Amino acid sequence: MAHQVEVSMKVNGAESKSVIEPRMLLVHYLREELNLTGTHIGCDTSQCGACTVLLDGDPVKSCTVLAVQANGKSITTVEGLASKEGLHPIQMSFWEKHGLQCGFCTPGVMIAAIGLLNENPDPSEEEIRLALEGVICRCTGYQFIVDAVKHAAQTLREAGETKVAMADSMKA
Amino acid sequence: MASLIGSAVRRKEDPRLLTGNGCFTDDIKLTGMVHAAFLRSPHAHARIIRVDTEKARSLPGVTAVFTGLDLAGKMKAVPAMWFLPGCDLKPKDRPALATDKVRYAGEAVAVVIAENRYVARDALDLIEVDYEVLPAVVSQELAMQDDAALLHDDVPNNLALLWKAGEIPDQVFADAEVVVKQRLYNQRVIPSPMETRGAVAQYNPGSGEMTLWCTSQNPHIHRLIYADVLGIPETKLRIIAPDVGGGFGAKIATYTEEAVVACIAREIQKPVKWVEERKEHFMATSHGRDEVLEVELAGTKDGRITALRVTNTANLGAYLSTFGAGCPTIDFGLMVTGAYAIPQAAVVTYGVYTNTTPTDAYRGAGKPEATYQIERAVDLFADKIGMDPVEVRRINLVPNDAFPYNSAMGVTYDSGDYQKALDKALEIFDYAAFREEQKEQRQKGKYLGVGFSTYVELCGFGPSAVAGAIGFQGGVWENSTVRVHPGGTVTVFTGTSPHGQGTATTFCQIVAEKLGVPISDVELVSGDTQSVSMGWGTYGSRATAVGGAAVSLATDRVIEKARKIAAHELETTVDQIEFIAGQFTVKGDLSRSRTIQQIARSANYAWNLPEGVEPALEGQSFFDPSNFVYPFGTHICVVEVDEGTGEVEIRRYIAVDDVGRVINPLLAEGQVHGGIAQGVGQALWEGAVYTEQGQLQSGTFMDYTMPKARFFPPIESAFTETLSPVNPLGAKGIGETGTTAAPPAVVNAVMDALKPFGVAALDMPLTPEKVWRAIRSGRDKE
Amino acid sequence: MQLSYTHTFSLQREIVWKLIQNEDVLKTAIPGCKSFSRMDDGSYDVEMGLSVGPVKGVFTGQVQMTDQEEPSYYCLKVKGKGLPGEVDAVAHMHLDETENGAAVTCRMEVVVTGVLASVGQRVMGGVAKLVLGQFFKSADTEMRKLTSQV
Repeated sequence: MAHQVEVSMKVNGAESKSVIEPRMLLVHYLREELNLTGTHIGCDTSQCGACTVLLDGDPVKSCTVLAVQANGKSITTVEGLASKEGLHPIQMSFWEKHGLQCGFCTPGVMIAAIGLLNENPDPSEEEIRLALEGVICRCTGYQFIVDAVKHAAQTLREAGETKVAMADSMKA
Repeated sequence: MASLIGSAVRRKEDPRLLTGNGCFTDDIKLTGMVHAAFLRSPHAHARIIRVDTEKARSLPGVTAVFTGLDLAGKMKAVPAMWFLPGCDLKPKDRPALATDKVRYAGEAVAVVIAENRYVARDALDLIEVDYEVLPAVVSQELAMQDDAALLHDDVPNNLALLWKAGEIPDQVFADAEVVVKQRLYNQRVIPSPMETRGAVAQYNPGSGEMTLWCTSQNPHIHRLIYADVLGIPETKLRIIAPDVGGGFGAKIATYTEEAVVACIAREIQKPVKWVEERKEHFMATSHGRDEVLEVELAGTKDGRITALRVTNTANLGAYLSTFGAGCPTIDFGLMVTGAYAIPQAAVVTYGVYTNTTPTDAYRGAGKPEATYQIERAVDLFADKIGMDPVEVRRINLVPNDAFPYNSAMGVTYDSGDYQKALDKALEIFDYAAFREEQKEQRQKGKYLGVGFSTYVELCGFGPSAVAGAIGFQGGVWENSTVRVHPGGTVTVFTGTSPHGQGTATTFCQIVAEKLGVPISDVELVSGDTQSVSMGWGTYGSRATAVGGAAVSLATDRVIEKARKIAAHELETTVDQIEFIAGQFTVKGDLSRSRTIQQIARSANYAWNLPEGVEPALEGQSFFDPSNFVYPFGTHICVVEVDEGTGEVEIRRYIAVDDVGRVINPLLAEGQVHGGIAQGVGQALWEGAVYTEQGQLQSGTFMDYTMPKARFFPPIESAFTETLSPVNPLGAKGIGETGTTAAPPAVVNAVMDALKPFGVAALDMPLTPEKVWRAIRSGRDKE
Repeated sequence: MQLSYTHTFSLQREIVWKLIQNEDVLKTAIPGCKSFSRMDDGSYDVEMGLSVGPVKGVFTGQVQMTDQEEPSYYCLKVKGKGLPGEVDAVAHMHLDETENGAAVTCRMEVVVTGVLASVGQRVMGGVAKLVLGQFFKSADTEMRKLTSQV
């Protein structure tokens, strides 16, 4: 049997611990070990961004991170965005502005957008388009994604949020 | 109550997808499930001498390894389903796994089954294959030459089909005042939905039932074909398309891998999962286009087009794919005259086998190629006679009083107001101001250009009798059941199979509006051959025009039945019952009424039904339209070309589309945006690149340029609404308008910008390098 | 793919001619060389580890030296097969005298298949030059060692 190691990390606010092969990618760890299948795999070469998650608050492509590299860290996936009270403003905006069609790239795109809004709470259209460089969407032509991000930024500013808070994980 | 049909309702499917609660094929996990990985040929053309799987089999964690020989007698090769008559078609099925010969790089040779995908991949590296490499041929034009490598021994000159429609004597062109001749290459593109293909198969050895979850746009077609391939009756083969992450035509085809996975699940009696890696997708999933188009257009000096002749040399790849024979022939050929009243037209199509991935439908399938050649030819014609390209279009567009219009290619355009769409686009654009700006900017060394595309396309497949006449081995009608439950909520079943279109919203809008119930009370079921009696799937922009029409008609049947029950309960006759906003009311007596929910309960309880009325409240429709639908419009693209780098920047993009009745304007606009992004992608960036030896160099997203957000300005989208007479909704198709209209709009714009450099023709994609070289050679000539 | 590479040795052309076809020199100088053995027909069986950007693997193959025109030219044919794909190369080796020694120019025509072609192609040129550079540098060192021992 292949060499195994133990990893533990906080995912969407919950502690997880598993024994895995050291070569296991973070995206496979999330999908296969933790059954968090909202994070998708769209390419093998870290171009498409469907697998983007927050690692200690920063967006990373989980297909290019080994699970062991995330050991001891905090991860937020799409499953961690909404709270019991309802959808996160980014999710709400994608819904209202029709920022998704097939929905396969959407989790990664929303996480990438959160990464942008954490850095720049009032991005221009051009800044949003540039910030989406790391994600590919084949369905929407991006226009309604851009609208959704703009709308989410406005909602968050009006709510006085300085950081795009997550349902549970970021508070820890 | 505001009308639901025509309003921008938020999508019903979104809360699930936005929270990570979708269920795509790779999300399915079954107890005891093992994983498949395919070994693929590194050669484009080679004889297989030996496959040694011994080492792979003995790797810990490996369940089994199969070669083509191991599967012999267990499943058949996978056939195409479009056998076009009258073209000497030589169909070549895809073998389950290659046994004697591989015919394209990426063809599957063996498959490993292992406890997880990592071990499966490890085991692939342990399989040894000896190949005798054969000369390969990639270009369809070279493949037809006498000395070219032969893919299939019994297909001389690799010619899979030769299709002719119409004939025009050479004299017509010899006598014409003006003739434009141009060779255009509509390059090979790779569909690239964000979800690759995948399959999960589960076999029940007790009952003999097979369930196959797979990334399909048309699960009933998959059932039809795979039932025969696997030797499982349709009663015991259940195909489920769960959430599907985009298709664009690539998930129409019935491939071998899904069937192999099912076959092996039956062999080893364990659930098997296979998910395509992206680099496999590039080689193993069908490609689109790849047609060399030679167009000849005859006209008069005052701008009238009199005849059109086109030769299409189409690359079919190594085998005949599911719809492969139809795309460059019927889909392309019938639409070569575009939106113009051209009295004479003729088409010849050569379909050629080459050592490349098989080609099949890609968003538009033949219509984008048809539109590309006619819209480019019209611009070249305008140039030659010194007339404005908009003026030439105005002169030749099919006039309003000509509808239904019988084209020279023998099809009947259902309805249209082509000038209106053009007017509306020009109004948004302000053409005169642009030409002024263009002139000014040129003096400053800035090169702007505008391109027009006044397109029409054929979609909404279609009358089944026509499908039969053109050799399509299936029907193209659509089915819907609308079931009202005792509590008053409604389940709608459709034989179309959405993968991003938002059908669960639009179809529920139709039903909710007609029944007068809240849309939250209506749910759509699709993509499951066990739940939905029959259907032909989502492609060719047929979901709303055909599937939506079936939903509408099935709902009408529910209302018709409910009206009888209401009349009975209200002690009056059926003709005295009015049905408005969910209420059955006796004419002139508002106090006597029943809600649809009340009738649903009484219909299902069946305590007191009128004579001859059966219990339950359910309607079903099998709708076979009388004709295709023909959406149309005008797209205008403005570009700026950087003289120094050759880079093309899209400055404006205006799209006025007429898709008949718009059910949901928000979703309609989303379809327009997405289609345009792909169409612009083909015009400027996308293209499959093969080496002469048949190696796909554009084999990852590192080398194949996918459109990104920063490549586009906001698209200016508007609609005109000319209803179609061929279905009760008046709807036409919308999914393929963007990929159809955009490529010539963009290329015409770049050509306009490059006029000062004397550049007349460039083939897509118009990459910076290509444009820069054209500018340089233009300069050198000066 | 075509590429060319020139390395200048500070040794006489005749010495370079002998040593650059010498088994021991080749064995040491071929990057990642795991085995190098002479076959009956005069060709060599080679096993080497190669790494082209993201594509790594062990290659086995045959090397053949033909058309020798001492001391100025020979042809090197390489056929290799590995998990990432197959390599088929023909190299024309030209040895020219220079002021302080001999310049060896390698003009190579390479055909690759598999992942090497689809993923590796864009980095192949650079990597191939790197590998050739390593080869000549090690050959240079090895030749010096041998000549100083003589």
